[in-house]
Amino acid sequence: MAVDRLLVIGAGPAGIEAARGAADLGTEVLLVEATGELGGTPYHHYATLTPHLKETHEAMYPMLEGIKAHPGIDVRYNARVTKSQGQAGDFQVTLVGENGQETQESVGAIVVATGFQHFDPGRETQLYGYYEFEDVITLVDAEHMMKTGKIVRPSNGEPPERVAFIQCVGSRDRQIGNRWCSKVCCGVASKQSIEVKRLLPNAKVFIFYIDMRMYGFWEDQLYWKAQEEHKVNYVRGIVTEILKKGDKLLMKGEDTTMGRPVEVLMDLVILSVGMEPSRGTVEMAQVFGMPFEDHGFLATVGEPLDTVSTPVPGVFVAGAAAGPKDIEDSVSMGGSAAVKAVGLLNRLKRSSA
Amino acid sequence: MAQKATPIELEVAVVNGVELNGHWNRIFEPRVISEYDLSVLDEVTAIPGAESLAFCYQCGKCTSVCPVEEAGGDYSPRKVFRRTQLGASLFESPDLWLCTTCSDCLRVCPKEVNMIEIMPAVRERAVMDGNAPAELLSAFENTARYGNPLGEPARKRQEWSKHAGVSVPIMNQHKSPVDVLWFVECYPAYHPRGKEASVALARILHQLQVDFGILGNEEKCSGDSQRMAGESGLFEMLAEDNIKSLSQYEFKTLLVTDPHALNAFLHEYPKYGGEWPTYHYTQFLAPMIDEMDLSQAIERRVTFHDPCYLGRHNGEYEAPRTLLRSIPGIDLVEMGRCRENSYCCGGGGGGMWMDSFTSERVNERLSERRVREAVEYGADILAVTCPYEVSRFEDAVKNTGNAGQLKVLDIAELLAHSMGLVTANI
Repeated sequence: MAVDRLLVIGAGPAGIEAARGAADLGTEVLLVEATGELGGTPYHHYATLTPHLKETHEAMYPMLEGIKAHPGIDVRYNARVTKSQGQAGDFQVTLVGENGQETQESVGAIVVATGFQHFDPGRETQLYGYYEFEDVITLVDAEHMMKTGKIVRPSNGEPPERVAFIQCVGSRDRQIGNRWCSKVCCGVASKQSIEVKRLLPNAKVFIFYIDMRMYGFWEDQLYWKAQEEHKVNYVRGIVTEILKKGDKLLMKGEDTTMGRPVEVLMDLVILSVGMEPSRGTVEMAQVFGMPFEDHGFLATVGEPLDTVSTPVPGVFVAGAAAGPKDIEDSVSMGGSAAVKAVGLLNRLKRSSA
Repeated sequence: MAQKATPIELEVAVVNGVELNGHWNRIFEPRVISEYDLSVLDEVTAIPGAESLAFCYQCGKCTSVCPVEEAGGDYSPRKVFRRTQLGASLFESPDLWLCTTCSDCLRVCPKEVNMIEIMPAVRERAVMDGNAPAELLSAFENTARYGNPLGEPARKRQEWSKHAGVSVPIMNQHKSPVDVLWFVECYPAYHPRGKEASVALARILHQLQVDFGILGNEEKCSGDSQRMAGESGLFEMLAEDNIKSLSQYEFKTLLVTDPHALNAFLHEYPKYGGEWPTYHYTQFLAPMIDEMDLSQAIERRVTFHDPCYLGRHNGEYEAPRTLLRSIPGIDLVEMGRCRENSYCCGGGGGGMWMDSFTSERVNERLSERRVREAVEYGADILAVTCPYEVSRFEDAVKNTGNAGQLKVLDIAELLAHSMGLVTANI
């Protein structure tokens, strides 16, 4: 007898949409979240959402409240999945709560939506000095500052006059082992450049890039908008290293459209760190015996036409656990995973009836 | 403080006419970019009309169609943006004067960086500061003083009509309405080869029994190229004078010889209250082709140079071709760059009056590049229909060693020849 209950692991945009979708289709949902809050990485770290620059908590409020109020969804906070036994239609899953107490849960199918973590710039092969220079920060640090409504140089608390974004930090790099484009950083950096200009209209803002990758509507919603309306300066050529010069940062690289070396001073450098599989994503691969694809994210079968089925029957994946995704793609995958999982449970129910 | 670099990207340096190729050109200026001084870009893009310079995302599509780049100039709109972004003063740069406003870059620009608006706006500021090539300033001065950039006496503007051999009514003597008022323009009124085309056109109009008249000495330069070269004040003055003169008379249609005048009358004069149905002479004549007795064959291979301001700027590609195809004997061949991607003769945007300035900064004149193309296509005759072109291309034919091989003739001359009204040097 198949268990008509779906386990969704991770309450970011993908997991939330998967849980809501399955519950709306009439399947009982157990939503397990490792932290004490719904919303995932964007909710925890991002001041505004790309591409429309809406305040994140305000924008996600209806989505989160919908989950909390849904009678078909049982949310477990501060819980991690540590073990799984059984097969599609009949999994016995072990959850470990905040205080280490274990509970057993029976579920028929699973959606893994454990997302990504930001690249640690201490690992980059260039010499950007993230752990050395206070005024070298990441996109995430910048978001945290923006949540407080200001942008300053951490070294002295003063607003920066010259701000540079460096793209592709931890992405597209064979030496680091991350051969992928993280998809969202060009858009997020452009979004942040607009926010910097809104907060500091007189600041000179530069984005140093190898290729600008502005998928779909982000091209004019972010890139053109930043360049044309907010006078953000896009310079093709990536930065090789950052040195300290007085109380400023000396950026060295090449301006490739001019074919000349660059050595310019900046007050604040923001590293556009890319995506890597999160700790939870790696753990879930072990728990459910799911293989990784070439880049170390969760493998799916049947791409590009099936984006959510993993090689393990009954286990589906949604969002950035399967590779770099923006929020739109994550939410779409969440819906797709819900339909696939509920469909499987319905088939199992019919065949065992 | 960081040293301010002077941006430079010399692939080819020309010193006293001698090409000095090699990477060592770059040592003349600091190689390292040590400052992105955005103050110039801010200053330039704050000028109304010049905002779109900052829209450039460096795709480089403009570079391959830019006629100045093609002629060996170290120039393209992409470079103009980058140099400005690097802090080079566009107001003091040769870049500001190399653009011929041919509009081919705008045709291909995905971001609609509009050099047709940027150039006049930025040039205006430079002209006010006295930072313009002397020869251009002298053309402005001539235009202001004599009503024409050639510096010819205003009272001789209608003199050509005495040699037309047919009646060319001058409006202030004619004293009655006409169907067509012919705005002759400066080069057709003063330049020896321009006058020959004017005589040809006068005879055609006469033969077709068109009821026409000209302003004669009351006419002044339409001023469109002066406007594009940065003298909008002068342009306004000319527009007001011409509108005042034209408004004295009754006519149904305005006929222009010059595509630059066409551009002014279609897009600029209406802003000053001067609005008339306006046609380039090829547009006016094309529907009347059946009424023309084109009996004399011209057994020549002919290619046609689309003027930037008739084609790209105003969308007329067919009328000149309709006329040429109607002339018996003509074998019309198209050059590789024709119609929308037609090459520029170099005369637009003030280029007509900056020949020394420009030719020092390109490997060959744009007109010479174009003449070589016509020769490559085996043309005997390069047909033109913009008054800047006859003189430019005839000089280019000599400079490229093609004298005797390629003739440059206005479409009016070819038509009149075929109608037996003139004997053109075919």
